[in-house]
Amino acid sequence: MTNLPAFLFLIPFVVAISMPMVGLIRKNVCWPVALVALSSMSVVSFFAFHHVYLNGPISYRFGGWAPPLGIEWVLDGLSALVMILVSLMGLLTVFYAGPGVQKTMSQKIVPIYTLVLLLISALTGMVMAGDLFNLFVFLEVASLSAYALVAVGGGRALISSFRYLMLGTIGASFYLLGVGYLYAATGTLNMGDLSLRLSEILESRTVLSGVVFLLMGLAIKMALVPLHGWLPDAYAHAPEPICPIVAALMTKVALYALVRITFWVLGIETIFGNIPFMVYLGWIGAIATLAGALLALSEKNIKRMFAYGGLSHVGLVVLGISLGNKTGYTGGIFYLLNDAVMQAGLFFIAGTLIYRYGVKNVSDLTQIGGKMPWTVTALIVTALSMVGIPPTGGFFGKWYLVLGALEIGNYLAVAVIIVGTLLTLAFFIKILEKMLFEERQAPKLPGLEAPFPMRLGMGMVVVSILVLGIFSDPTIQLIQNVALPSGF
Amino acid sequence: MFEIFFSRPNFMAFILLFLFGLFIMVTHKNLIKKLIGMYLLQTSVILFFVALGVKEGSTVPILLSPEYSQGASYANPLPQVLMLTAIVVGVATLGVSLALVIAIYHRYKTLEEDELVKRLEPGE
Repeated sequence: MTNLPAFLFLIPFVVAISMPMVGLIRKNVCWPVALVALSSMSVVSFFAFHHVYLNGPISYRFGGWAPPLGIEWVLDGLSALVMILVSLMGLLTVFYAGPGVQKTMSQKIVPIYTLVLLLISALTGMVMAGDLFNLFVFLEVASLSAYALVAVGGGRALISSFRYLMLGTIGASFYLLGVGYLYAATGTLNMGDLSLRLSEILESRTVLSGVVFLLMGLAIKMALVPLHGWLPDAYAHAPEPICPIVAALMTKVALYALVRITFWVLGIETIFGNIPFMVYLGWIGAIATLAGALLALSEKNIKRMFAYGGLSHVGLVVLGISLGNKTGYTGGIFYLLNDAVMQAGLFFIAGTLIYRYGVKNVSDLTQIGGKMPWTVTALIVTALSMVGIPPTGGFFGKWYLVLGALEIGNYLAVAVIIVGTLLTLAFFIKILEKMLFEERQAPKLPGLEAPFPMRLGMGMVVVSILVLGIFSDPTIQLIQNVALPSGF
Repeated sequence: MFEIFFSRPNFMAFILLFLFGLFIMVTHKNLIKKLIGMYLLQTSVILFFVALGVKEGSTVPILLSPEYSQGASYANPLPQVLMLTAIVVGVATLGVSLALVIAIYHRYKTLEEDELVKRLEPGE
């Protein structure tokens, strides 16, 4: 049972490494093999969560060396929950990607699925990391896979991926620098040991600088405004089948790393008391919420619009965790789960529109007509969730965030969340108006509804959003029982 | 105040290299030069870590023989080992970025950023 983290990592990793051999035999087998790997990984992650829920955290030690000298992977409540998110969203987005990859990039099938599985295995390593340097290594592996995946389509995506690479590497270097400062101050890299030792030396400038660099590096990776410059280009130009895979997972796992480092390594008394940077992070989250939604309003390209919407959500989660009480934190984590599903849904819809109709801009949406019922339904439900209307999951996430802000009397945060919601509503009304209410134009391509995997992907997103909404109370209770840091 | 600059030359070198790398990445327009700046940035962080482990009068952290096994006479091996991994990560990043640069050159026939912007097709 202590080997469960190793299984969770090895399933996608071994399949990723053997994917070129599989692809050499027959190319078209790659997609089913990837699906089998990801579904078995999902099953194991559910099993792992069940085990962690009943028996407490699992700690896997590399080579049997005990921490703090050895490296460990820790599966506790929060990481098991995010593990389920990563494996399920990985499965869903890879399932969606099948027809698109087959149609537009069929000569690159083998490298694409290798990279996708490498990405998911590296994200697994990041989620389970119990050691700051291990987190850095897997962060870089995941980022490299993401850079390559964004660039796979060629053309303009190459330049966007190059910009992503430059900014991402700066972020990783800052993160490593922060780890170096913390190592210099305490002599250890293990997260548990670091939290014990840091509590004694908090006034030192080394620790303060280390924390600042660490957070700056992570802020670049999770595209917190104003360090978000790589995201709109990268998501807008990434090939359509691949975009949901990167969009649904990369920034969310970097957000998880932020939560892990601030709440577990530094501890709640530190981040709200001695080095109160959570207050400033809250301000930045508020700016990000508003800026993301505002910037989305002026966009004409559908994918760029959705990318800016994602920026707004990252800001909301950061705002939620910066509130400092249990409700705000739970709301933030719940919104993180919702956001992964919503981002995947939005990019599924954008990909389907391009696949069948070649529709890239909002003004072309009038060509759809009544011919894509699944896509339109998915768009309506996802829009309701992004804006925050019951019974979708987005509503309950924002509800808990607002509740948490009201509990501590932070009315500015409430105002920011409401204004962000109104701005999101504004840009979704633009899309829905073009799609449903304006005059139909003749479609430029003969279009039908999307192929089965894409339809199923969008259907599953709709179902997940509604399930997260209707069963929000049990989910919130689960998060509060299992994923709360000590001190709440 | 200036004693700080001269008493810790290792860390001053790290700061200079880090800022140099960042400056090169920001100001130069050629993609290859940006990559050089990026690698300089990563190398400076590696220098920082290795400089952390240096002790006065210490030697290379390789066990000479079982008699010389006091830890105090060796430099701290942990940062050096971590930086081996970081060097590999840097090389992998450089590999991916160079492959990207080759693809960009094949497609756009230039490596200068301002030229690239001019050669983008409308709607790209």
